[in-house]
Amino acid sequence: MMITIMMAGLIIAGIFAWFMESVKKHSARWIAIYSVFGFFVFFITSIISSPLSFSKLNVITRLSWIKSLNIEYALALDHLSIVLLLLTLFLSLICILVSWQEITDKTGFYYFNLLATFAGIIGVFSATDLFLFFFFWEVMLLPMTALIAIWGHENRHFAAIKFFIFTQVSSLLMLIAIIAMAYFHFSQTGKISFFYQDWLALNMPIDLSRYLMLGFFIAFAVKLPSFPVHSWLPDAHTQAPTAGSVLLAGVLLKTGAYGLIRFVIFLFPKASQEFAPVAVLLGVISILYGAKMAFAQQDFKRLVAYSSISHMGFVMLALFSFNAVAYQGAIITLVAHGLSSAALFSMAGMVYARLHTRDLNELGGLWNSAPRMGGFALAFAAAAFGLPGLANFVGEFLSLVGAYQVFPVVAIFAALGLIGSAVYGMLLFQRCFQGPETSDIIDLSPRELTISASLFILLVILGLFPNLLFTSFAFLGGK
Amino acid sequence: MTVAMLLAISPQLVLSFGLVIGLLLIAWRRSQLSIQLLTQVILAAALMFNFKLLSIEAIQITPLLKVDHYGAFAFMLIALSSLVVVSLSRRLLISTTEVHDEYYLLILLVTLGASVLVISDHYASLFLGFELISIALVGLVGYIRNSDLAVETGFKYLILSASASSFMLLGIAFIYSQTGQLSFSLSSPVSGNEMAVNTHFYSIGILLFFTGIAFKLSLFPFHLWTPDVYQGSPTVITLLMATVSKVAMFVVLIKVWFAMKAIGGGQHESLSQLITIIAALSMLAGNALALLQTNVKRLLGYSSIAHMGYLLIVLQISSVKNIDFAWHSALFYLAAYVLANISIFTALIISSPQNDVYVDQWKGLFWQNKPLATLIIIAVLSFAGIPLTMGFIGKFYLLTFATQAKLWWLIAALIVGSGIALFYYLRLIFVLFSSKNKVISNTSDLIINNGIGLKITSQVFVISLIIIGVLFGLFPDTVSQYIVSH
Repeated sequence: MMITIMMAGLIIAGIFAWFMESVKKHSARWIAIYSVFGFFVFFITSIISSPLSFSKLNVITRLSWIKSLNIEYALALDHLSIVLLLLTLFLSLICILVSWQEITDKTGFYYFNLLATFAGIIGVFSATDLFLFFFFWEVMLLPMTALIAIWGHENRHFAAIKFFIFTQVSSLLMLIAIIAMAYFHFSQTGKISFFYQDWLALNMPIDLSRYLMLGFFIAFAVKLPSFPVHSWLPDAHTQAPTAGSVLLAGVLLKTGAYGLIRFVIFLFPKASQEFAPVAVLLGVISILYGAKMAFAQQDFKRLVAYSSISHMGFVMLALFSFNAVAYQGAIITLVAHGLSSAALFSMAGMVYARLHTRDLNELGGLWNSAPRMGGFALAFAAAAFGLPGLANFVGEFLSLVGAYQVFPVVAIFAALGLIGSAVYGMLLFQRCFQGPETSDIIDLSPRELTISASLFILLVILGLFPNLLFTSFAFLGGK
Repeated sequence: MTVAMLLAISPQLVLSFGLVIGLLLIAWRRSQLSIQLLTQVILAAALMFNFKLLSIEAIQITPLLKVDHYGAFAFMLIALSSLVVVSLSRRLLISTTEVHDEYYLLILLVTLGASVLVISDHYASLFLGFELISIALVGLVGYIRNSDLAVETGFKYLILSASASSFMLLGIAFIYSQTGQLSFSLSSPVSGNEMAVNTHFYSIGILLFFTGIAFKLSLFPFHLWTPDVYQGSPTVITLLMATVSKVAMFVVLIKVWFAMKAIGGGQHESLSQLITIIAALSMLAGNALALLQTNVKRLLGYSSIAHMGYLLIVLQISSVKNIDFAWHSALFYLAAYVLANISIFTALIISSPQNDVYVDQWKGLFWQNKPLATLIIIAVLSFAGIPLTMGFIGKFYLLTFATQAKLWWLIAALIVGSGIALFYYLRLIFVLFSSKNKVISNTSDLIINNGIGLKITSQVFVISLIIIGVLFGLFPDTVSQYIVSH
């Protein structure tokens, strides 16, 4: 029930915030942050006190929804989804904090959309009925598109339409695969079912599962994004408001990775193993191409956006290496990239709030007037290029170690991406904060300091004790 | 004729009776208010009589008519749409000083024609219903005589209807020449029927019949009239055409088609291939043509071409046992389509007294009138097939049907078509959110921009449409329980 309560609660809090903003100015952001914080605490306590052990997928809610097609409202959690839900809730707080002063127009509706997106993402990470999963997959898209289209930058309509069409068309392919799976279940057992656990029990013929796997794979590869279908990402990330970019990079991309793990690799193990060389190749191309493109950008946010493509390439590479070490690396990379890209996008938002530009040519020498900001930017750039001691390093290192055992040549090329990321990471920092001073700005405010410090502390903790991500589950649940 | 039979056609009887009463009322007292009220009462009564029929077993009433729960469901959609059209008509007719009695009678005639179509089981009753709709609609599309486009629209629709009818008649003649019967299901089989339904002549007959219907459904090569007539007609009448006429025509098309399949006809590969091609081209062409439209009514006209293309998917049944699911999918999609049309046309009619609404006129509507803009958003999302709306479930049914029947080419066309469609649907939505542009002078014509809120009745209607739209989208079983029999 707790997930349902959280989703419904977020929507209700969103409507309440929307309504209250017209009664009292600035009340929406307080309602938003209190409610998200409340649900964060609520989620942690209910996970800890839960009698269930989440080491494997555990169904927590199951109700009949559309009877004629045997569609259910079914939610389940396991360690993977709990980690991603915690990341989502934490970044939700960051999102609200970064929009604190940025959003001055139509504020109430803004927070409604933000909270509705959170609710949709929570649904995606916990749905186990595939129809329900698809439903949330689409529903989270609507408020997200609204965030880009209404509060975005100069070219926002184009970016929002591109984002929407890419996701929608690819997800229709997934919908076809979902329906075909349900009918395959029908032909095997005489009962139509969209329930994930029912599907796991199926014995799929390999030729059919190849096609169905591809349907899922394309939808998730677009969301991840992987090389040939990535082009929505730089536009959407650049044009979105800061919180939108944080949400997109920090959480929405992870829904693609989550889908790859849960619905591609676990549902179609044989077919994905066959497909692995192609996927790994796409991963490596994404790593190198993303790094190269990031290097060529003149726009702060666009640079970070391309670096996301590069990092998600590591996830794709690691997942399709079918290796336990690489798998752990992928999970850590997911969390680490969620934190570090969110940090860099927040940084971009802070710079933009002061100078109203994201153009690297117009920036420079900011260190003199804002050393704290520069320090954090350097730390986050270092995290992004995988400095040991910070979380990204562990993730990428494990991914490469795991991948090397299976695809040595590919892993060697992928390792070149690390050099690339160091180049663009340093370039970003240098063009922004060093060189001749262009303008005099105010250093970080307490609010911004909170954002940066909390992200940085988490990156360090996970960088030094990456096992926390796995061992801490021993304390969760199962009591 | 037993009582059960009379009850089964009671909605049609109520409508016919109501028409006579309407004529008498005109002779007695000419008042727009009373004739409108009478029409509403008649439609509501017909709906009430129809409600019991939603769960009946099929009854054959004379060779001409056959009432089943599918027909009853379709009639419900038709009567509800007519009711909405009648209720929204006051705004259109308030502008002139005449008393518009005949307007309401024509709407009743269209409804009667459609109601005959959905229960017909014989080409004679089919033709009767078909002509009743067409002729009454010709009168309606050019009803506002003084408007610039009235004559053009009326003539276009007249010529189209006449040619559609003649194609159809020729087709029916061909079919008759082979089978010697006019009943759809060939209920009293003469010897050699199995042979007869697979001759070339029979297939050509079916094809010509299909052409006649395709004109009315504005499927791809026969779609050219659609945007002009959509634009030129009074907006409420466009709604009538988009809902009542389309539902009735489509329902009768699948009736004929499934009856033919059930007796083993239509085995010719080329026939179903041709329909696949027409369906795919309708999806692609309709959406592609809608891309650059700035007039909302023209845009909806083009998008209706695509929607009818999507619906044609259900014709491709692989075996007779899929017929029930095909009916289910088609009727659910039609219900979603009707609801979305009612929603968006209501918004069109309420937001502007003019006959034409341009996309730009809706600029910033969300910030001025949230209920109305929300209604538009839900309608557009429903057209686009995005979750939270009925349109998504409808599209899900169609895709389920297509996957089950392994219609990969049609699925591909549907995906590409929906991708193109998103482009103009999203533009419609984004316009609602963009900040208001003061330069466009037309904007001041929008009623809602005058600072006056909507009338309370309109407000209630708009909000209830929003609630219905989301409710049926979230809990589709509330609708489909009436389609699934027993």
